[in-house]
Amino acid sequence: MPVRRAVIVAVLLVLAVLIEVTVLAPLPFPGATPSLVLVVVVILASQFGASTGAVSGFAGGLLLDIAPPAAGTIGITALVLTVIGYAVGRFAESDDRPWWMFAVLAAVAAPLAVLAGAVLGGLLGDPRVRWDEVIGLMVSAAAYALVLGLLLTLPLRRLCRWVVPEAYSR
Amino acid sequence: MRDTRRSRIVLAILVLVSITLIVFDLRGGDGGLTRPLRAVGETFLGSAERVMATVVVPVRGLLDSLGGLGDTDARIAQLEADNARLQAELDTVANDRARVADLEALLGLVSANDYETVPAQVIAVGPAQGFAWTVTIDAGSRDGIERDMSVISGAGLVGRTIDVGPTTSTVLLIVDATSSVGGRLSGTSQIGIVSGTGRQDSLTMQLLDPLAVVDVGDVVVSFGSEGGRPYAPGIPIGVVAEMRGTEGQLTRSAILEPYADISRLDIVGVVLRAPESPPRDTLDPAVTGGG
Repeated sequence: MPVRRAVIVAVLLVLAVLIEVTVLAPLPFPGATPSLVLVVVVILASQFGASTGAVSGFAGGLLLDIAPPAAGTIGITALVLTVIGYAVGRFAESDDRPWWMFAVLAAVAAPLAVLAGAVLGGLLGDPRVRWDEVIGLMVSAAAYALVLGLLLTLPLRRLCRWVVPEAYSR
Repeated sequence: MRDTRRSRIVLAILVLVSITLIVFDLRGGDGGLTRPLRAVGETFLGSAERVMATVVVPVRGLLDSLGGLGDTDARIAQLEADNARLQAELDTVANDRARVADLEALLGLVSANDYETVPAQVIAVGPAQGFAWTVTIDAGSRDGIERDMSVISGAGLVGRTIDVGPTTSTVLLIVDATSSVGGRLSGTSQIGIVSGTGRQDSLTMQLLDPLAVVDVGDVVVSFGSEGGRPYAPGIPIGVVAEMRGTEGQLTRSAILEPYADISRLDIVGVVLRAPESPPRDTLDPAVTGGG
């Protein structure tokens, strides 16, 4: 990965993790915490393709797994977001998509990430998983991801183009 | 596509690395191979969260006060009424205070002020979809905080520290499904295990004595651990809201409502040292009965 691209990915992901745990999680949103990291991973994958998408997903997930006050198993979020970053990247490569398509994609990916996290946690014996809450968390996660996706896709796309113009010259 | 093969290899490698991390984290326990990773998170991301909090916390306070503007008038009226009532009560207090001082001396009671605490601000919260009830506070090993210390708020027990970085610590809240605290019903001295349910507004208390007489509204305080760690004795936990199971059944449990408002934690205190003479000794029925 070229240096400028690595820098923009790293900066955006660290900021997203910090904002998610210090700003979004303490706010009394009903249901899930808006998953800013997931939305940023989806946007990065849509701009830079599947390889960068997978790497961004892994890095963002790992940061979420180790950022205090994380108490879950390290690697679960990394695994889930790696797969999401890869899938979105592949989808973006196939041909030109309208920009709002990636907000919709984030809204599809967010509930799947909640479900995958709960299933993996449950399989690995995490006593905290509450199945009666999973549906509510999935619905709210989808709604928040759609809003964040619509708000962030265009500004972040412009930022990516400005920092890494060579990625768009093909 | 030109990159398909390469991106598949990247995907495969990262999935394998993730699974390896999961396995190491699950098998390793506290001293495991993923411990350095957590330490990196605590040191770097924890410090960054502190920096974020210096901006975020004042804004959060401002938003909270804006939200309350609408009912300010009603609150002022309420407070004026309270004030008049309290003024009337105050006249009797001076007399009571003298009696309380005597009684305290007699019983050797320790007040809440005798807990040596470090104040801390809650700066980060775990995402709800992780199901864990944990928060980060802006005090760490440099402030004298260690693993397994009680964390309290003005209202009651909040949790205990489970991970301590240089400038931040992670607190496991009492409502987390993996949290359990030894509890005692104040008054009857019945003891039990208070566990989190994963919901912010309820705890369950498993009573050790199936014949225990418990009423709704009874107060539960922490029993206290050896050396006051992880839980210092005598900290109010919650109040009994409901009883489950009938008397004499093998296991009986109570549903408690926690005193601390877990969803709106702001400033908390970490108990560095419990009082020399724990309240549970002095509240023993034999002592109070004899006095």
